[in-house]
Amino acid sequence: MGAPAALKEDCEALLSRFQEMDSVRFEDFTELWRSMKFGTIFCGRMRNLEKNTFTKEALTSAWRYFLPPYTFQIRVGALYLLYGLYNMQLCQPKQKIRVSLKDWDEILKFQQDLINAQHFDAAYIFRKLRLDRAFHFTAMPKLVCYLKELSYRMKKKMQRAEITEEFKDPNDRVLKLITSDVLEEMMNVHDHYQRMKRVISADKSNPEKSLNLIKDDFFDNIKDIVLEHQQWHKDRKNPPLKLKVKGGEEKSERNSQHSERCERAESLAKIKSKAFSVVVQASKSRRHRQVKVDFSDSESGQVQTKTTRKRRNKETLKPAGRKVSSRDRGDMQKIHMEDKSLSLSMPVVTEEEEENESFSETEFTAPKRRRKQRTKS
Amino acid sequence: MAEDSRGDPACGGMDGRQDPVPSSGGFTFPEYELPELNTHAFHVAAFGELWRGRLRGEGDLSLEEPPAPALPGDRRGTDSGCEDAAVARDLGCSLETAAELRAVCGLDKLKCLEEGEDPEVIPENTDLVTLGVRKKLLKHREETLTIDRACRQETFAYEMESHAIGKKPENSADMVEEGELILSVNIFYPVIFNKHKEHKPYQTMLVLGSQKLTELRDSICCVSDLQIGGELSNTPDQAPENISKDLYKSAFFYFEGTFYNDKRYPECRDLSRTIIEWSESHDRGYGKFQTAKMEDFTFSDLYIKVGFPYLYCHQGDCEHVVVITDIRLVHHDDCLDKTLYPLLIKKHWLWTRKCFVCKMFTARWVTNNDSFAPQDPCFFCDVCFRMLHYDAEGNKLGEFLAYPYVDPGTFN
Repeated sequence: MGAPAALKEDCEALLSRFQEMDSVRFEDFTELWRSMKFGTIFCGRMRNLEKNTFTKEALTSAWRYFLPPYTFQIRVGALYLLYGLYNMQLCQPKQKIRVSLKDWDEILKFQQDLINAQHFDAAYIFRKLRLDRAFHFTAMPKLVCYLKELSYRMKKKMQRAEITEEFKDPNDRVLKLITSDVLEEMMNVHDHYQRMKRVISADKSNPEKSLNLIKDDFFDNIKDIVLEHQQWHKDRKNPPLKLKVKGGEEKSERNSQHSERCERAESLAKIKSKAFSVVVQASKSRRHRQVKVDFSDSESGQVQTKTTRKRRNKETLKPAGRKVSSRDRGDMQKIHMEDKSLSLSMPVVTEEEEENESFSETEFTAPKRRRKQRTKS
Repeated sequence: MAEDSRGDPACGGMDGRQDPVPSSGGFTFPEYELPELNTHAFHVAAFGELWRGRLRGEGDLSLEEPPAPALPGDRRGTDSGCEDAAVARDLGCSLETAAELRAVCGLDKLKCLEEGEDPEVIPENTDLVTLGVRKKLLKHREETLTIDRACRQETFAYEMESHAIGKKPENSADMVEEGELILSVNIFYPVIFNKHKEHKPYQTMLVLGSQKLTELRDSICCVSDLQIGGELSNTPDQAPENISKDLYKSAFFYFEGTFYNDKRYPECRDLSRTIIEWSESHDRGYGKFQTAKMEDFTFSDLYIKVGFPYLYCHQGDCEHVVVITDIRLVHHDDCLDKTLYPLLIKKHWLWTRKCFVCKMFTARWVTNNDSFAPQDPCFFCDVCFRMLHYDAEGNKLGEFLAYPYVDPGTFN
């Protein structure tokens, strides 16, 4: 294991333990630091050149965690870590921390946030690092060279920095779009609008009927939907135990949520089960492929044994693969695959989205094949 | 990130000279064009100005020694008081909090070793993966090496890196200014594509933003500059006075679509003209190249991409790839003596070729078609060469062709 990988592990160990402490105080950090004896990371009879390279590498590794998209706590932990590494290093003169131009504004903002939130110890430490002139102000965070030393390859393997997932806030686009500020704003605008309507209409208590251009409960609906979404997010991250049970129960659990897709899937599944409850008897030579009716699952009434199910999935996978993956919603996926495949064999395709329609052309051969297999016996 | 237009006020001072026109659409914030490989082109001086604008008045740019951190046991009453007041002012907290912060965030809180414990010894019961790796390495070294000390190359490399750190000039006029930019330039071996599969950085130099391109050109040591032309078997004592460096003075740098030719001496020719004519003769898809004079431009005037390979050509056909790997503001720990720049901080160690006879001295002569020599070509030091090929009176013995040889390792 090389030094950079080992350093990454050690930094992450320290930072994750700091994250568990759920505090941003320097005292807590130093306790952790001392208990892990992190300062001894420079020990071990390194000669000068190695000391320089190692220290540079250590500072670079710690620096990564100081920038977004890591969470606030991790960033404060990284600041403390940089402070510790910078001051405990054995190089003389000290190796500096590289800051690039594009990151500096972000860091100053961070410093301001710290001061505003009255995290004085973190702010003090950053100020101290700056006073000690621990920074090198550079163009890019790392030394950049198109042609690497000792190896010449036009297309380099791009090493994308892997961001540790646990240190990040989950990326929630919906919540980013509809933040609490936006909701508040919406509510204000809505109220204002209603008031204006009342003011200009003749009857002061009720606005004119002709001005009813929006749904009155529009704002409440949005709020409910967003809250639901938040709840779903939370449940997804830490699924409650009962959701982990496989099979139909899980499906019924999901079905109980207000999801239109679930309801539709359910109804389709019912139709499926009706259609396939009658099964042709396979001949002796095809005994292993006997289709059995499986009534254990509530939703799909999946009528195949495992083998046939796999085969069916494989067949539909080629044309279906593209579309299905775009609707990746965990267990919903299976239902959808069945939906598509089975919806084609059934003439009933009422509330089909246009995706499925275009689909049906490409897949048309598939059900024919399946039918053939079944009737071959 | 701001994407400023090319009409940057910072480069306005170039009227009256030929303006190098960048081929890409001006970024001022260095951003990766190819991630981890190179950035977009940007103007060096503008970049410097962006940094200086952000740091002005904060003491970050100063080249004075920072005040030594007060040790915990040091009871310098008024100093701590002043410091606390400064802290309280900057952070918006009370004086008591400031004093408390000084105590809580002191360096003694970070000490992991007890008094008397040797910082060189790895502690026994450690969880750190890094230390585990290092322990294994040390054990391996103990088992396999008889003497564990730095070899010549390592000492050489370390010396190169650190010999100029913190040097201050005797003459204060030679002091580097605050806010000066330092560029790290990697210069590679001259490439012979048939022979070399690799590009190896040959040397790394630090140049100041305010230095001219010609200063870098003068400081690049390439062995082809020292070659002495001519077959000298008949006249070994007549060493020609001129080395190639003096005879062929032309050179150019190529950065972002512009060829900067060295035109300081009347003998200097425009080597880039051939390339420009070739590119213009047909539509080769290279866009319009420009030429400029090397001595008129400093590094701050350039538009460059960090990490991107450019070219330095001299001696007509000796080409070196040049990559600018880093640009940063000067720091008080750097070498502050302007006269020492461009500063060589890294150089590839080359084994010198020794005389075939004595195997002790560096070769100074190379012979071809030599009846005395066991191989063709064969290398000799001066003494062995004369002893073998000439008699006591200095008459040539046998048939051979002899050329003076300059070993690439001469610069070690």
